[in-house]
Order: sequence, then C-alpha cells, then structure tokens
Amino acid sequence: MNANQNAFDLDDDLFDDEDTQKDKYLTFCIATEDYGIAIANVTEIIGIQSITEIPEMPEYIKGVINLRGKVIPVMDVRLRFKLPPREYDERTCIVVVEIDGASVGLVVDTVNEVVDIPEDQVEPPPKSKHKGGGYIQGIGKIGKEVKILLDINKILYEEELATLSEATQSA
Amino acid sequence: MSENLEIIHEFSNEVRDLLEQLEPSILDLEKVCNGEQAQDSPEISEALNNIFRLFHSIKGSSGFLQLNNITETSHVAESLLDRIRSGSMQILPGYIDLLCGACDFTHESLDYLDKHLNDEGMAEKARGLIDTFQKILSGEALPPTVGTGTKSIESETETRTAEAPIQIDLDQEPDNLKNPRVVEFFLQEAQDQLQVIEQDLLGWIKSPDDTELMNKLFGTIHSFKGNCGFMNLADPERLSHSMETLLEGVINGLEVDRTEVADLMLTHLTAFREVLHDISDGGPGRIIDLERRLAPIREFISLEEEVKEESEEPRVKLGEILVEEGIVSPEELQSALATQNDKKPLAKKQDIRVNLGKLDSLITLIGELVIAENMLINNPDLDGLELENFSRAAQQMNKLVNELQEMATAIRLIPVAGVFSRMNRLVHDLARKSKKKIDLQISGESTEMDKSVIENVIDPLTHLIRNAVDHGLESPEERLAAGKPETGVILLSASHEEGDVTIYIKDDGRGLNREKIIATAKRKGLITGDGSQLTDLQVHNLLFRPGFSTADKITEVSGRGVGMDVVLQNLKNIRGNVQLKSKAGEGTTVMLRIPLTMAIIDGMMVRVGKSLFIVPILSIRESICPAADTVTVTPDGHELVRIREHLFPVVRLHAAYDLVPDNYELDKGILVVVEAQGRNACLFVDEIVGQQQTVIKGLSDFIVKTGNVRGVSGCTILGDGSVCLILDTHALVEMDKTAEMQKI
Repeated sequence: MNANQNAFDLDDDLFDDEDTQKDKYLTFCIATEDYGIAIANVTEIIGIQSITEIPEMPEYIKGVINLRGKVIPVMDVRLRFKLPPREYDERTCIVVVEIDGASVGLVVDTVNEVVDIPEDQVEPPPKSKHKGGGYIQGIGKIGKEVKILLDINKILYEEELATLSEATQSA
Repeated sequence: MSENLEIIHEFSNEVRDLLEQLEPSILDLEKVCNGEQAQDSPEISEALNNIFRLFHSIKGSSGFLQLNNITETSHVAESLLDRIRSGSMQILPGYIDLLCGACDFTHESLDYLDKHLNDEGMAEKARGLIDTFQKILSGEALPPTVGTGTKSIESETETRTAEAPIQIDLDQEPDNLKNPRVVEFFLQEAQDQLQVIEQDLLGWIKSPDDTELMNKLFGTIHSFKGNCGFMNLADPERLSHSMETLLEGVINGLEVDRTEVADLMLTHLTAFREVLHDISDGGPGRIIDLERRLAPIREFISLEEEVKEESEEPRVKLGEILVEEGIVSPEELQSALATQNDKKPLAKKQDIRVNLGKLDSLITLIGELVIAENMLINNPDLDGLELENFSRAAQQMNKLVNELQEMATAIRLIPVAGVFSRMNRLVHDLARKSKKKIDLQISGESTEMDKSVIENVIDPLTHLIRNAVDHGLESPEERLAAGKPETGVILLSASHEEGDVTIYIKDDGRGLNREKIIATAKRKGLITGDGSQLTDLQVHNLLFRPGFSTADKITEVSGRGVGMDVVLQNLKNIRGNVQLKSKAGEGTTVMLRIPLTMAIIDGMMVRVGKSLFIVPILSIRESICPAADTVTVTPDGHELVRIREHLFPVVRLHAAYDLVPDNYELDKGILVVVEAQGRNACLFVDEIVGQQQTVIKGLSDFIVKTGNVRGVSGCTILGDGSVCLILDTHALVEMDKTAEMQKI
C-alpha cells in the first residue's frame, strides 16, 4: 500500500517537474551567437576550474574536473563547433548536463538566462548539410531575438558516430 | 509479499552456503571409491553424516517454502545417503556423480528461484533426477511406489528421521526459533496447513476410499512435519510423524477403520494449534500430553522404536534416549556432544547479511571522506599559518579516517575458501572426463580478499585449472612412463604477499613446450625469426596473446585457446598480474598477483612538466637517475637504458601524453622502471613527488566512448581537489612492445 502511495507521489512530482521545466531553456553565448539548451538536462552551472587533460582525446574534450568528488568530463562547445579557441576568463562557465545518468560539463563563453520559448515559437532546424547543423534541435524566437536550440544528445555523441563511420569507410 | 521475498532471498543465500560446504564433503567420499578409505572409517562416516545433515537442512528449509522440487530432490539424496550410511549400500562413483548432480540441480533451482520466486520451472529436471535416485534406491525391495515418490521413500527413511531432529538440534537450534521473522512465517504457514489438513480429514471421513485425498493429506502432513523439524519443534514433529506413518500405512492397504483414524487425527489438530499458540507467546512449543496422544496411533500401527518414551526433559536427554534405544551407540553420542560443544562458540559469532549495494556505497562514501579530509587539511587557505590546535585535531581526524577506511575495506574481505572448494568439484569432473588421476591440494584457503575481486578471480582460476588438467597433466600411462607417480598433483594456494594476494596454481605435469609455442607464434605471425633468442619468460608470455592456443586438438575440457588471454584480461580488470613459470617435464606454475581491493591502491605520484600522474606501486620495480652513458639509441630512434646488464626500453611520458617536460635529456630526469606481464619499461618523468593511498575513480563512460584512451586506467582526486590520472602500466609497456616485437 505504502509503496503504491509513494509511486503516485513520485509520478505527481514528475508531472510537476515536466510542467515547470517544459519550454524552458538555458541560454548561453558562444562567439556571437545565442544558444539554448533544454533546462531539464541542466544540473548546475559552475565557474571555470582547473581541468586535468586526458591524453589521446579529441581536441574538444578538454579533460576532466572534480565536481564535489565526482570526476566528470568537460567539453569545450566552441571547439566542438570548430570555432577558434578563446582564452578562458572569469565569465567562462561550465554548464553541467546530465544525460542517461552520465554528467558532462560544457564550457561556454557566458551564460545568459533561463527563458520561456513556447513550442509554437520554435521552428524546425534548417536542412543544412553544413557541419554542426546536426546539433540543432530547432530555432527559438523571442520577440526579435533568435536562439539556436541545441540537442544535447547530439552534441555529446553525434560526431563520434560520424567520425567512426568515416574511419571505417576509409579503412 | 516483500517479506516473503526477503525470506526467499535469505533461503537462497543460506542454501548456497550449504551447497558450498556440501561439495567438498561429497568429494571426500571419492576416497572410498579409490580404496583410500574404508566406507566405515570414521573420516568417511563423518563426511557422510555431514552430507546427510546438509541435505537434510536444505530439505527442511525448502519444504518450509514449499519449493517441492528442491525438497524432493534433497529428500531422495538424503535417502540414498542414509542407505550408504547404514552400510546397506556400497559407495559407487556413480552415486557421487549423482549427488553432485543433486547439488547442481539445487544451484540451478536457486538461480531460477531468484528470478521467478518459485521452483516450478525445475519440475522436469527434478523428475529426471529423482527417477534416477529412485532406480538406485529400488535396487532393494521397496514398498510399491504411489504417486510422487516422496512417500515410497519416506517409508524407508523413517528409522532415521528420529535422528535428524537431533542433528538439527545441534546445528540450528540457536537461530530459527529466535528469528522472529522466521517464526512469524512458520506460524502463518502452519496455521494454513492445519486448516487444510482439517478440511481434508473432514472430507476423508465422508469418502474414506478417496486415494487422491489421502495422498494430498499425506503431503500436507508431511510438509507440516518438515516445518516443525525446521523449527526444531520435536514434539509436534513426532506427533505429525506418527500421523504420517499411520496414514501411509492406510494408503498402503493397512486394514483399519478409516473414519476412526481421521477422527483421531482431528483431535491432534487441537494439540498442534496449542503448540502454535504457545510459540506465538514465546513458549518452547511442547505438547504436554504427547505420549497420551501417541498411544492411540500406536494401536493402529507399530510406530517403530523411535517414538517410545517421553522423557521429562527430552531436549536435554534426547541423546540418552537414543542410546537406550540402541539407535546410537554411547560413543556416537559422545562425539555428537563433542560436536555440539565445538559448535557452541561458533554460534556466538554473529553474522549479518548486508546488501552488497549498501556496502559499496559505504566504501564510496569513505573514499569521498578521504578526499574531503585531504582537501580540508591541505587546504591552500591554511598555507603559512601556524595552527597548533588545528594540526592536532587534523592529525586525530586523519588517524580516524584511516582506521575507518581500513575497517571498511576489511568488511568486504571474504576468504577464498569458497572459490577454492569449487575448484575441488571442477577437478573431480575434469579428472573423470579426461580419465586422468588428479590430486588437488589446497592451502591458504583462509586468505581474505575483496568480494568483488574474488568474483573476478573465479573465471581465471577455472581456466587455469582446466589448462592444468588438460594441457599440463599427462595421462596415467604417460606419467608412469616418465617415472612420475600415476596421480598428478595440482597445488592451489593463496597467501598474502606485500599487501597483495598471491595465488599459485602449480601442476607437476609436462610443462610448457617451448618449441611448440614458438612454432605456433610463428605460424600466427606473432614473431618473426626462429625465436631462439627469446627468453623463456618472453616465450611464455606469448601464451597470453589473444587467440593463441597450442592444444593439438580442441577438447571438451579446455576451450579454444582463448583461455590465457581471458585470464590476463580478467586480471587486468582487477589490476592484477599473471606470471607463468614452467620447466619442461616438471610442470607449470601460474602465479596470480591480485590487489586486496579494487577501491584503493598504493600509488607513486610522479610529475611531468605541470602534470601529475599516479603509477601503481604494485608495478614499480625501481627508480633510477640514469647516467648519460647508459643510454643507447637504436637506429630507428628507440632509446634503451642499461641497468645492471639488462636493456630496458624508455617510454617518454611527455611524448606519449604530449606534454612539456622540465628536461628532455634522460640524465636530468628520473626513470621509473615498471613491470607488466614480464615486460619492463622505463617511464621518463621529471620528478617523483611521493607515495600515497589512492582512491580509484573510473574515468567517465563518456570519455571511454568518445576517445581512445590508452595508458590511463582511471583517475583519483588529489588533496587540492584536482584530478590526477592513474597510469596503466600494461598499456604503457605495450606501447613499446610493437617496436620490440618487430625487432625480433
């Protein structure tokens, strides 16, 4: 009985969560563009801290950091988008996202704010063959401003599939 | 329901433990077959008693949970043992296999039970096994079998059910009645059973000739008896046993007034209910007028000698009664009492089963605590401050945390005996299959290791033992021809060495064949040239290459030559190490070096430029400052350093990890000589920072998926909160191996 009761409570919580988090995006800035990621994936935002490099990783994986005793990898989104690197400064942030239980830190130039972008204000991504186009989930409109909404899953895992198939093709 | 679940899990664990004890004892019986021991020697009868008792306990507990397949199987096994024990049957090798089969079956059933919470899916297998047992048992004249086997056997096992409770008395009495959960479960179950018995008795009165009903009744009474036995309730057990016997007589054609029998039994139900009531009030569960109740039953059927005198204090004098009745001799009683006394201190050792997940989180938490403590005590904010009181408090805390960490590690340590005893069984089976004579000698089985480490050792050990039997030991003829004793010896030993555990698997077989290994390696393209300049060690290490096998033919016993490869991989997973030593004609020794625990290692911190790395101390042989003239550079650019007449390849960490070191000249830095898999390499570093306990953290899965991490086995968090990588010496030595192998 009790267990069931709890299960219901849990469900309710989930609904609440979904409700409050729906259509909410954390926006950040890289180079000149504004981007957004669904807030549901974000667990926290921390300032830049010392990163331990890991050998033989792609350039955009900067290494690992100690997040309160947990070792999590850190990805530089700038390098991920093949943009020129930039010195980290006091405005540089690490956005910690969690997908399928795995936490990853994303290094972004600056974090802006959390915004509401209702579904009807999101346009489907442009069909581009351009590299990096694949990370886009949609284009969100807030008044005159435009935010590029990113698909976290693809940012974390997409390219490696691409390179993998390239590698097997060339091999 | 969840309570039920817990009981089932407890049962499953308990029976697994019992089985672990069972197998070695069963194998002891083999000595009789080999003619080493007489069947009636004290050692063997001790073993027989042990096995009997264990099967009986399994039967009792499974009957309690109504796992009928397990119950029946252990029951027939028990019957067979009883025959052997009483001397009416000779031990034959086939019986031992059969008993092993019963163990296997029980294991399987437990696996099934864990998944499905019942053992119904095992019915078919149980049937087959039970049939085999019964065929053997019915070699003697047996009463005609009716229905499910349980009965026919029950009738001829009666004589010893009287003894069984005593043994339970000795062994189990301390726990079951005191375990409130078990008691509660028993009470519930027993009440239900009594209800069913009552209904069926009433039904029986109406239709006295209904055989099916009688069988059902018999089954329920039998389960009830089993439950009482499990709870060590001697009185209700005796009463229900007498009812069972009477009923059986009726089923088998005893001429009595069935209605009268049923009426009589109905009156006994009251007694049982009183007992249950007594127990739920914390009483001992006696039946006060047991004798008076047994008397009318005796009028119907002779209850055999076991149920005669009711003693004032049956529990205390049970043994004496048995002596009086000639069931046990006074000597046996003495030895039983001795066992009882021996076992008493054991009962005081209090164990508690803990969910492994909880233990794991405890260890993780303590790991975090160690790190947090480091961060606190070595906090940069404290630099340059004179804090006498703080330092004292910090020291105290450091001491406590260290103790806590040691204690937590110790909790997870369990003796390797469990794994070793499995090997007994393996060797027995393998010997049978390969028709070789093998003596497995085990020592150091009380050596303790982390539970998860032990789990990872089972597979490699199995492989190695298989190898030893199949490739190592020769056939008896070959051995005799070579002037060796006919029986091959495999030595399995474990010991603590320098903070690690070392396991030796040593056989006195034919040893490794150098030429054959080299030939295979050449054929597989693993080496070029004739291999004559390779050291024995290098040749032996070829065996660890994936897919390498020298077995002339693939046999059922040993696999397809993936063995050694898997062994190495398994050991790497637990940061261990394998070494092979062999002398042609004299045998092979495999040495496994395994860290006590996987959570914390002793590490040496080294610095290259600005980066810090941890090298596991286990793999460090020495550290040197090389003189410039000891360095040789080969034409293809490989650097070799001479250390006492040996040349070691140099691995420049700064080059491997793309770092900027303080110095590029070898003689200005330090070389750390590491060893892995019998190969050595010198890691070139700028400085050795110091030794420290390292809490191992895995690299994130994301990293493993994204990049091709080589040479890093994990990471740890340093006192200042920064992350430090742990070097994988295996991989680093490997980096150089390609080059070296080409050279050869």
